[in-house]
Amino acid sequence: MQYLSYAVVLGGAVCAILGGWAYFRRYQVSRPPIGVFNLKDLALMVLFIILVPFLYLVLPTWLAAGLLLLAALSVLYFTWEPVLHARRATWLAVCALLTADLGTAFLLGVRSNGFFAVNDAVLVMVVVGISNLWAQSGMKARDAALLGAFLAVYDVLATSQLPLTSTLFAHLAGLPLAPLLSWDSGRGALGIGLGDLLLATVFPLVLRKAFGRSAGIIAMVLAPGAMGMLLALPLQGVFPVMVVLGPLMGLQYLFWRRYRGQERTTWQYFQEDPLRRRGQQLTPQQAG
Amino acid sequence: MLETALAQLRFAASLVFGMRFSPRSLEQLVDSLRATQHEFGTIGSEGATLLGGPTLDEETRRAMQLRRFRTQAGRAARETAYYRRLFEHLTLDPARLRYEDIAHLPLTPKEDLRADPDAFVCHTARPYVRALTTGTTGWPTSILFSEYELRVYCALTALSALFSGDLEPEDIVQISTSTRGTLGNVCLAGACAHLGAMVSLAGVVEPAHTLALLAEKRHLAGKKPHTSVLYTYPSYLGELIECGLRLGYRPADFGLERIFVGGEVVTEGLKVRSQQLFGPARVLEGGYGMTEIWPFGGRLCETGHLHFEVSQGLLEVYNFETATPALPGEIGTIVATPFPPYRETTLVLRYDTGDVVRAPATPLTCSLRHQPATSPLLGKLSLSVRHEQGWTYPRQLAEALEALAAVPLPARYGCWAVPGGVAVEVVVRDDSPGARRRIETSLEEQGVPVRELHLLEDRRQLQHPMPLRGDLREQAFSPPVLDRTATNKAIVLQWQPEETRIGGQ
Repeated sequence: MQYLSYAVVLGGAVCAILGGWAYFRRYQVSRPPIGVFNLKDLALMVLFIILVPFLYLVLPTWLAAGLLLLAALSVLYFTWEPVLHARRATWLAVCALLTADLGTAFLLGVRSNGFFAVNDAVLVMVVVGISNLWAQSGMKARDAALLGAFLAVYDVLATSQLPLTSTLFAHLAGLPLAPLLSWDSGRGALGIGLGDLLLATVFPLVLRKAFGRSAGIIAMVLAPGAMGMLLALPLQGVFPVMVVLGPLMGLQYLFWRRYRGQERTTWQYFQEDPLRRRGQQLTPQQAG
Repeated sequence: MLETALAQLRFAASLVFGMRFSPRSLEQLVDSLRATQHEFGTIGSEGATLLGGPTLDEETRRAMQLRRFRTQAGRAARETAYYRRLFEHLTLDPARLRYEDIAHLPLTPKEDLRADPDAFVCHTARPYVRALTTGTTGWPTSILFSEYELRVYCALTALSALFSGDLEPEDIVQISTSTRGTLGNVCLAGACAHLGAMVSLAGVVEPAHTLALLAEKRHLAGKKPHTSVLYTYPSYLGELIECGLRLGYRPADFGLERIFVGGEVVTEGLKVRSQQLFGPARVLEGGYGMTEIWPFGGRLCETGHLHFEVSQGLLEVYNFETATPALPGEIGTIVATPFPPYRETTLVLRYDTGDVVRAPATPLTCSLRHQPATSPLLGKLSLSVRHEQGWTYPRQLAEALEALAAVPLPARYGCWAVPGGVAVEVVVRDDSPGARRRIETSLEEQGVPVRELHLLEDRRQLQHPMPLRGDLREQAFSPPVLDRTATNKAIVLQWQPEETRIGGQ
């Protein structure tokens, strides 16, 4: 039965990565019309990563749950908007998803696999949305690699040296919309955190934009491969996944930077790798 | 992105509430827009909407403009000698003005500003630059600006250029306007610095020299191989066209893409004839702006109206014959009041620019219809001619004459009233019957009641020459000599050896 947990969690991670990739080539999220994701945003993000766990720990449970709900609502809205177009349909889809998550949490309990199934699906959509918002807002491969490097160090401190991550998971795991992709096979739940999944999903996108399709595909294979190996190890407690993913991202970035040179901008990426609309014929060049 | 969002909020607060701009936020916005353009190749229309002025209904517009007029008038009454005297004389409290009262306040004539410019400067202001006008209609007017104002103007000019696509980082920009036109030159050069474009303040020198600069091949990394953008006066552009064709230049000798002309009436004839020398380079009108009311100015819409942004100032069209606000379709001069936070050093209320326009006769249907508008500029009132049949404006004469090949560019002419209409004198290439007939027809088509036509072959024979800014020539130590090499057909100018030593040594 442990295999089932493994299959569900790894399958969920693969779904997020593939979903993010497919979304990236098909839909445009409503990014802010002015501004590009830059190093200052990265610094701010790092600050949030450091502070938000403490915030969640000190906030009353109802407020923490409210914040999770608000965040999920906004992310799911901008994720579904370019897919469904109509505002009413988008709101309907988002409300249905959140109702299902809250409903299963209250009716079946937050430790039930019924809840995990719904929550994992919602989490995959959230990851697809956030990773695309970052990548489509001009996040560079350099920024993602730097974030990965920082998280590799942070994860060691917060997860291995301090009880921060395990306390946080314990605190949030009892809430609907918990930021953990997990499955319980009866002998304890197996899971992977939202942050790890986000980095694993966004990196192939920014690599594809910066260095081309091959770079993206390799990243898309390496990340679930690494996660699969880690999940298969007989580890006890919480393991800092970014300790493996972070250096992997850094090495890939350095390789492609050396091999391909300067990163492409989004504009250059679209020039060289135009989006193919549904029903549009490939040019001989593209087909070749 | 968060920094950009904060800068946008700060900018919006200034637009909506009239609070002081934060130059740093404006500069942050320029940087963010450049980064957006670099990353995504373009700035979407949503971006322009975010930073554009508010779209207001008539009632809200009046309320907002009244509030800003009161603020500016209150400050002017408290802090400037001229308006303190005026409001004391009128026994009016600016804070209690109603919208209808504004039209009854006396106009501020250009002569008052010229006579005592310091009387318009706030005593708490920190003037930094004294900007002079070119003085086309008399003694140059002097306006003081603070460092804050200049920083804001440079950033606003850069924002406007980014949205319109007027300037790109790869551009080499040549400013061929009078160096005395300080404000326009400083703002444009500042905007170029923000945008990363290279700028050259060439001035109004001998046309042959300017043409050589334009034809010069550059080898700068990240820059276009030729000067790609030219800012100049229409009359000077006319001189360049005549001189260039005479010297044998062809469109292939230049890399100009855009020619921005302003400061004078821009004619359709000039735009067409520019193609003979500069080929596909687009001649673009820069809208309407003047030092005294800067940065409040007009922007041309696709149908040719001049539109004025409501948050920047109050536009009135004043019928100078009836001394009342111009009714739809009537002629009048532009009367402008720049608002805070755009002006804080030299304050003017209801400034009579002396620039003649027509109030739109019918409701606007263009894309900028939410902004007050006028017709294109018809010319200076002081250069217009009153005659028995009405008025003849410089635009009518310039449009009629510059459309004809028989008239060398820029059209040099004079006009005065005679019984039954006007007399027109004009410099032509050849005083032939054919040229006379074409000029008469063209003038009549423009509604000029010409009763006498004097064709001259020498501009020195003009009795009442229209002043042209292209004549604000800057001298050089020695004239340039043309050297055309046969191999690459490049045109090179060399300077003659100096014969005169400075300082009499």
